[in-house]
Amino acid sequence: MTRVVVLGAGVSGHTAALYLKKKLGRAHEVVVVSPNSKWNWIPSNIWVGVGRMSATKVVFPLAPIYRRTGIDFRQAKAVGILPEGDADDPRGAVDVVSTAPGTVGRTERIRYDYLINATGPKLNFAATPGLGPDGGFTASVCTPGHAVDAAGRLAATIEKLKAGIRQTLVIGVGHGSCTCEGAAFEYAFNVEHELRAAGVRDRADVLYLSNEHELGDFGVGGMTFSTRDGQVTSEKWMASLFRERGIRAIVQAAPTEIDADTITYRQIDGSTSTQHYDFAMLLPPFGGVGLTATDRAGVDITSKIFAPSGFMRVDADYRPRPFEEWTAADWPRTYQNPEYGNIFGVGIAFAPPHQISRPYATPDGLAIAAAPPRTGMPSGAMGKVVALTIADMILTGATVPTRSASMSEMAAACIASTGTGLFRGTAAAMAMSPIVPDYSKFPSTGRNAKETTGDIGLAAHWVKRMLHTAFIYKAKALPFWWLIPE
Amino acid sequence: MDDAQNQIDHAPLPDARELRRRRNVVIQFVHFVTLNWKMYTLAKRHH
Repeated sequence: MTRVVVLGAGVSGHTAALYLKKKLGRAHEVVVVSPNSKWNWIPSNIWVGVGRMSATKVVFPLAPIYRRTGIDFRQAKAVGILPEGDADDPRGAVDVVSTAPGTVGRTERIRYDYLINATGPKLNFAATPGLGPDGGFTASVCTPGHAVDAAGRLAATIEKLKAGIRQTLVIGVGHGSCTCEGAAFEYAFNVEHELRAAGVRDRADVLYLSNEHELGDFGVGGMTFSTRDGQVTSEKWMASLFRERGIRAIVQAAPTEIDADTITYRQIDGSTSTQHYDFAMLLPPFGGVGLTATDRAGVDITSKIFAPSGFMRVDADYRPRPFEEWTAADWPRTYQNPEYGNIFGVGIAFAPPHQISRPYATPDGLAIAAAPPRTGMPSGAMGKVVALTIADMILTGATVPTRSASMSEMAAACIASTGTGLFRGTAAAMAMSPIVPDYSKFPSTGRNAKETTGDIGLAAHWVKRMLHTAFIYKAKALPFWWLIPE
Repeated sequence: MDDAQNQIDHAPLPDARELRRRRNVVIQFVHFVTLNWKMYTLAKRHH
């Protein structure tokens, strides 16, 4: 019996675990290690964060799903990998610390034949003093708990507005190296939608604060959409939407310090500015979760497996080169660790070879660079591909990965909510193909013009709401779940 | 200095017809079907 251990039960890890079990059946063992007892459909956290959805609607307990599907679930946090095993057993192993009620802190060494690292990010609120809801001053929508807190703060802000007190709401990123600007964009527009619904929009100043070089960059270098009105850059498309909704924007910004009512930020010209706020939701930068690695002799080999950022090295080209020399071919295809063929890193946990957007810095070297997003659609696709590869290795004896899912070949659709409601909701539906521009295939924009599209309207909101239901159905492994594409 | 706010201030606004199109339930239902089909084929073709 072969044992596959999956670290993490987010979109990528959970998808991988379900496909592995489906392919391997009872003949082999699938173990999922996650510090969280619940699965969270993170894209809907923004609706929790404006008080339009209950937190219970975006989560469900993992244990019953894993029990029903025959997956061994350990509620624990992985802390170290031993790819060569230890003195007792040459099989690879993972050291985990229990987070389950009743056994908190208990350690365990779990042996594996194959390992998938899908741990997701560490939410690095500590990167900027004063950032975050726990010990800082700003709200977040990264977890259901954070989103509930954000909804409470927003409700209090709306009450002040109703009382005639003007308020400044700042929504964006909390550090120069953040990713997932799309989530901040969605939250800004959902907040604006709620202020309008509450009849207090005229008293509120809504500001989008981002590390993107320009509006509509989203960490993917922006896009050139085919729209009903012809080809339009995402920058112009977004500028129009911001003007329509009266949301101000500051880009090329890196918050450096936050106190109770002021955000200090720097911009790429080296200037330092401050922005007053009454309500702020700023996303944190992501980092690796801090896994260590040791060889059989106990020597630390963390740097062999992980990049300095803490994300796992996979089959990407990590050679440092100028931006002009980066190519689509640098991006990983199989997500296999180059040192250990039975270890894979997927989702946010793999180390990207470089930025997709051109990185910038202040004259004294403070990086202001939107990091590449690896969430949602591509994250699920990576999890599935790695699961099928491992299943092929186990069932057919394949010695090399049999499947690939490079972000430089994969398309992605992003439905960015700009306000919820069955008939009043709107969203921006954006599709790009591929995610990482490939200028050798598509010399003008790096992307397939026919498949890179943008549209705004009620229909996109319905799609976003439908995806909420569809992906929770799929994640619950209900009948025919595999028919729903990633 | 970034010119995002300048871009926003001078960006074109959607006209009344476009705003009606975005909210028209019949048109949007057709869009809903089309969008779903586009996303499904995109996922099937590229994943």
